[in-house]
Amino acid sequence: MKRTLLYIIALVLTIAAMGQTLNVKVGNVTYLFPSTQTGEMTYANGETVTIMGKTFSLSDIDEMTVDNASVTDNLVDIAYNASGSATVTVAGNVAQYVTPTISGNHVSIAQTNTDAIDKDEITYQLSGTTTDGEFALDGSYKCTVSLAGVTLTNPSGPAINISNKKRIQISAKNGTVNTLTDGADANESWKACLYSKGQIQLQGKGSLTVNGNTKHAIKSGDYITVKNLTLNLKSTSGDGISCNKYFVMNSGNVTISGVGDDGIQCDFEDDDTVTGETTDHEDENSGNVYIQGGTLNISTTAAGSKGVKAAGTLFINEASTTTIITVTNSGGVDASVSSDLVASACLKADKAIDISGGTLTLTNSGQGGRAINTDGTLTISGGNIDAQTQGSNYGSSNQGGGGFPGGWGGGGNSSSSNHKYAKGVKADGDITIKGGTINIYSKNHEGLESKGTITISDGQVYVQASDDAINTASHLTVSGGYVCGYSTGNDGLDSNGNMYIKGGLVYAICSGSPEVGLDANTEGGYKLYLTGGTIIAIGGIENGSSLSQSCYSANSWNKNTWYALTIGNDTFAFKTPSSGGNGIVVSGASQPTLKSGVTVSSGNSIFSGMGYTDASISDGTAVSLSSYSGGSSFGPGGGGGGFPGGWH
Amino acid sequence: MALVGALNVQAEEYAYLTFETTDGEKASVAVSSLTLTISGNTLTAGSQTFTLSNLSKMYFSNTDETTAIEEITTATLDEAADIYDLQGHKVTKDQMKRGVYIVKTKSRTYKMIVK
Repeated sequence: MKRTLLYIIALVLTIAAMGQTLNVKVGNVTYLFPSTQTGEMTYANGETVTIMGKTFSLSDIDEMTVDNASVTDNLVDIAYNASGSATVTVAGNVAQYVTPTISGNHVSIAQTNTDAIDKDEITYQLSGTTTDGEFALDGSYKCTVSLAGVTLTNPSGPAINISNKKRIQISAKNGTVNTLTDGADANESWKACLYSKGQIQLQGKGSLTVNGNTKHAIKSGDYITVKNLTLNLKSTSGDGISCNKYFVMNSGNVTISGVGDDGIQCDFEDDDTVTGETTDHEDENSGNVYIQGGTLNISTTAAGSKGVKAAGTLFINEASTTTIITVTNSGGVDASVSSDLVASACLKADKAIDISGGTLTLTNSGQGGRAINTDGTLTISGGNIDAQTQGSNYGSSNQGGGGFPGGWGGGGNSSSSNHKYAKGVKADGDITIKGGTINIYSKNHEGLESKGTITISDGQVYVQASDDAINTASHLTVSGGYVCGYSTGNDGLDSNGNMYIKGGLVYAICSGSPEVGLDANTEGGYKLYLTGGTIIAIGGIENGSSLSQSCYSANSWNKNTWYALTIGNDTFAFKTPSSGGNGIVVSGASQPTLKSGVTVSSGNSIFSGMGYTDASISDGTAVSLSSYSGGSSFGPGGGGGGFPGGWH
Repeated sequence: MALVGALNVQAEEYAYLTFETTDGEKASVAVSSLTLTISGNTLTAGSQTFTLSNLSKMYFSNTDETTAIEEITTATLDEAADIYDLQGHKVTKDQMKRGVYIVKTKSRTYKMIVK
């Protein structure tokens, strides 16, 4: 009995702890002042009463009541009403900073100085449904907008419009479903369905769908970050996400489709000094995009559109979670300015692209489109990348490279104003590959192209293309890793400078004479330098090469057949293509043996199934190899001295 | 029991809402289910009525701090300086009918019920 009594007392006190609250009702706004916080509430001249710093005109007050309503400090609750007007409830401790204006379900809040509570900041919590409402906030301090199951449509403006040029957290409460929709305005009188002049931190374990019908779905005049949130974005004429300074995706699931422009676009803030990446992104205005976790699905269809576009550098790396990025683009070329054609791309960065992790599936089916495109450098050190371009080339070329027939005139200048080639991966700067698994397919042009150098030191690179599989305007160096360049219309690997093969394993396939598997720019005074590694070149190698490592050749090979190249104890099995150049040249750290028609029972599959390292084989017929020293194709000649290397 | 004690500390609850007039007089109103309404120049809190222009402050209190505004049923009106009805209208002694009035004198303010 005594214990029961204690429980009863505890219950009573618990209920009492819920609060004793003075409610001040002004129209559809109710201010909740906990009795423990009010102190003296002062009247002045029979005209006003001031409670916790909030001054009310007495003539505006509809009613004051005292009840046991609980009050959450810092909270401003906005409940939209499908059949009436929105109601707003303001916690007493922030009442003095908040002035709501309500017209139907259009709620506008003016927020003044919140220095006194700035560490906790105000939370605006939105719930309910309306087909004609909005949430507008004007102030100059940080705050949180908590989405607690709100369906908010504004046919005449943005659903959420925040003028604060401060950090705004927009958080979807755990388990809630939230939808924002704006109206269609041909004059683009507003920038986005969800707009903030300041930084936006999108987070929470609920879901948020944003339907932009005038311009962007989400727009910030500053940076945007995404964490945890399930975000679904549509925007009929703008970007899914548009921001300045930088963009960070840490985790969550973001799906962007039905957009009129880019999936995610990050620009510089014109009014601030441009920076690179800074510590903790402090005062950063880099134009960088950082994708370091979560799942990102983007589909774009607009001409010239980009799945992800960074004015600075696009970083894709993996922190503690798996990053999955899927981008499809069918937009084709934006030819609205005929002298400035804009190619579409799944990923595009003006400065650089740096990929060190994640699983990327990139498909561009648009005319002249690219899977990856950067005006600067491309560095890949990890991740699994599947990049495909399936579109045709746009326009015509009058700058074909060097009179080599076949394909689209290898080496044509893709920056020419009258055409855009549908390349798989293209960088105007140097390409450096230090790791990762990269599969590139280009149906109608080059697969992997750099206007600078290409350097591969590790990783697996498989490129299949109708033009040069791998092409560089300058030097190409392979010192490690596994590289396969398979061209159905030109060279396997084509360097317009020198080509250095120092290590690794290179499997090169050309389309047929006069193309070759490994092609350096002999005509320009450059050559292939082979000093190490393992090579298999179907269609041979460039005449006049410098072969410090012995090479061997066979004059013929069988199509669609598994071969095994054994050097010492290492066997690499490879499948020949259905067509290709005449003859085959091989080389390794020691004299190799070659067998045709083998059966592969085990090994590590690479090159999209066209090769096995550490292969176990059976059957097969030995292929007679002759020493090859360059010069006339496949003629006998003394090889250079052996050079240690191998592909490991 | 510790929990009960902890909640007891946090659950500070007041029994009264005390009003203070510009002349320093106080009147406390029980807060249980209390509703305050404003009409014209009058604020009504439960059974108490105040002239807004005479109010200086209000606050929650644990005790009844009433000092001046009293509910009386019999009194002379000789000292009355001002008399207001519940709508805040100023009335004369002759205009007083059955009802509640606020009677202000030089030293006190009364709530008077005319029966």
